[in-house]
Order: sequence, then structure tokens, then C-alpha cells
Amino acid sequence: MGAAAQFVASLAAILVLAWIAHRMGLGRDVRIRDADHAKGLADEVICGFAADDAAVDDAGRAALVRDRNGRTVLIKVHGAQFSGRLLGAGSTASVREDHGRTVLEIDTGERLFGRVTLDIDRPDNWVQCINPAKAGHHA
Amino acid sequence: MPDFSPIDFAVPFFVVLVLIEMIWARRRRPESYEPRDTLTSLAFGLGSSVAGLVTGGAVLALSLWLYQFRIFDFGDEWWSVWWAWPLCFVLDDLGYYVFHRCAHRVRWFWASHVNHHSSQHYNLSTALRQSWTGFFALSFIFRIPLTLVGFHPAMILFVGAFNLIYQFWIHTEAIGRMPRWFEAVMNTPSHHRVHHATNPLYLDRNYAGTFIVWDRLFGTFQAETESERIRYGIVRQLGTFNLLWSVFHEWVGIAQDVWRAPWRHKLPYLWRPPGWTHDGSRETSDMIRERWLEHGRAASDDMEKTVPNDNPIAGQEKPA
Repeated sequence: MGAAAQFVASLAAILVLAWIAHRMGLGRDVRIRDADHAKGLADEVICGFAADDAAVDDAGRAALVRDRNGRTVLIKVHGAQFSGRLLGAGSTASVREDHGRTVLEIDTGERLFGRVTLDIDRPDNWVQCINPAKAGHHA
Repeated sequence: MPDFSPIDFAVPFFVVLVLIEMIWARRRRPESYEPRDTLTSLAFGLGSSVAGLVTGGAVLALSLWLYQFRIFDFGDEWWSVWWAWPLCFVLDDLGYYVFHRCAHRVRWFWASHVNHHSSQHYNLSTALRQSWTGFFALSFIFRIPLTLVGFHPAMILFVGAFNLIYQFWIHTEAIGRMPRWFEAVMNTPSHHRVHHATNPLYLDRNYAGTFIVWDRLFGTFQAETESERIRYGIVRQLGTFNLLWSVFHEWVGIAQDVWRAPWRHKLPYLWRPPGWTHDGSRETSDMIRERWLEHGRAASDDMEKTVPNDNPIAGQEKPA
């Protein structure tokens, strides 16, 4: 078999395997259960992260966790797992209206990590934590 | 000299085993697979094969050129020296250990090897998540010593392929522990789960390819413990299934760090461990493990302080 034909056959095979995984219902619909769960996940992002406060998105798809030093970790659902970032200087937070709800939108500064939207109580408080200079800003 | 690539023959078995593991996952652990992750891993494997085809000729040509400077000569019929084959396999596995340890401890090599670790899942498709940039990272240099010793490059490629094939089946959660004698000598799913873990206890452990004895000999062995739920992936999870970012993210990170660093700190970003920064703004695996141990010590100190107050019997004397 020529190299090109082998490549096409291999490509077809991997697409079929991924399709089979999808059809078999593999993976799971994970959610962040509550604040304690979010705090545990923050400790997995930053080993020893002493969580003080946490806010979990209504749908459990994201969470924010803060420690006593004012550091904030963002957690999001990623496939069947979780992924997180310690929010730094390049991160911004803003509040916007979405279907009648006031939601918080976090931009980690990493295009491929993506913007994360959270439906949480008192989103303005978190805006002040994440970008004090832009506190109260409504996008 | 057999004129075939063992990996070409192994690929159909890989596919069948992935399917069998998917059936197992559906019944027992659906969360061990994620279709988008599987697609990314398999695309890594395909891209890696293409990269191998493109660069393999150059590596073979270099090896054949270096072969003329060999120390020992097995003769023109080197393939008929039966004992050279197992010897070459064992020495190649030792070379793999050295390569693998460097691939985790030197950021230049890690930029290529990180591809294999970037999945947060651990299944047979993860085994196929191979690097596209191994040639660029100069990973082939770790096999040069065997050529200079006197093993023919074709023999080294052949045993190396079998080493890679061996490592396929250990990427699974479907197998718990193998018999004790096997776990003592060979790399196993249990040992390699530890290697893919991001738990501080497990970071940078179990570099073995086929024989776990190298880790036991060189002090990098860590047994899997029941008390530690394994988290797979990398310390800073990618958070995306984007294939190209998954392939090149660490190279981009190196370029950004070198660009931004003061002149005298630029080169260390290439040869220092992953996570090292000149301003201490990030952490290496050693630093993470040390902080984790400190937390453990602090927690046990707190326990010691509270026990005498809570327990009048323990309060009579210091805890052991």
C-alpha cells in the first residue's frame, strides 16, 4: 500500500474509532457538585491551595475559588474531566446579561482555554477580586 | 535480517485492543474514555507516524554513518549473532530510561514528550498519543551510543520497535496488578499509571520502558498506592482538545519564555526542568512535591499539638 493510501486508511480508522467511542456513550457528564468539590479541584490545580471561598456556577460547569491571599482559581468542565487556571494579570472578568440572568464572564487571557461563563450569586464581588481596576464594569 | 517493521504488523492488534478496552469501559468505567480526547490521541499517533516517515531516513542515514566508528564489530553477518539481540534489547531499554528521564527533566526534550502526557485520560488510545517533534528535539541522540558500541542501526530500530510495542498494553486502567514477580521486573499498567499521574507523590517517577528494574536501581521508583486517587495529565492541564495547540504548546511556551527573559536567563529555559523560571513565578515538579510534603508535615504537626488536648491519655507523653 502506498504511503498516501495508508494515511487515508489510518485517518478513516481513527475517525471510526472515535465515532464508536461516541456511539458507545463513553465519557461522562461531569459537574462541579458544590463549594467543597470546587475547593478540592482548586487544590488539584495548585497543590496546597488553601481555599477560603468558592462560588459554583448554577449548572455546575465552572467555579471560582479564592484563598486568603486573594488568589483566585477558575475551574471549568473539560470533556469528562476538569481543568483550571490560577487567574493572573492577563485575566479579566466582566458581568453581562444573558437570557435575563446576570452572568460572570472570565477571560483567562489564553485563547484556547476559552472564555468561561458562570451563573453565580453576587458576580460583581468576583469581578472586584479578579480585576480590581475594572470593578463594576458591565460589558 | 528480517525486512519488516514490527509496528506495522502490530497496528491492527492495537486497534482491536482499543475496541476491546472500549467495550470494557462501557460496562465498567465509561469515564475512562472521552471521544474527543480519543480522537486527539489517535490523531497524535497518525501525525507521529507521518513525522517518522519524513525524518526516519535522516536518522537511519546518520546512524549508518556513525556505525563505521563502532568500538566492537559483530561481523558482516551481525544478525546471526543470537545473543546480540537480547543484549541490544536490554541496553536499548536502558537507553530508553535515560532518554525518558531527560524528557521529563530537561524542558527542551519535555516540549516534545509532553504530547504523550497531555491527555487527562489513561487508556490504550493514550499509548498512541506520540510526539510529532521528536526529531526536532533531537531525541534520536539517545540511541547513538548503542550504534557506537557496535550494534547495527537496523538491529537497534528493530528492538526499539518491540520496546514501543511492549509499552502499548501498559496504558490501561483495565488491569490492576500483575503477579508479584512480574511487577518486580517488568513495567506494568500499575507502574505506568504512576508515571502518567500528576499527584505530587507520583510526579517524575517510573521512567521505565520495558524493565522497571532501572527505576528501582536509580531511585526513581514509586509504587501505586491504594490511598491515592490518580489524576492523569500534566500539572497545567491544557483545557482544550485543539490538536495543533496540544502538539506545539510547550514549544510556544519555550519561545515566549526565552523571548521575555533577560539575556543571562534565556538559555536555562531550554535545559532547566519544566516549570523552572528565573523569577520563581512557576514551579518545577520537585518544588510541587516539596510543598506537598511540607503540607503533610504541617498537618501531622497540627495533629500532634491537638492530640494532648483532646486525649488525656495521649497527653501524658509525647506521641511516638
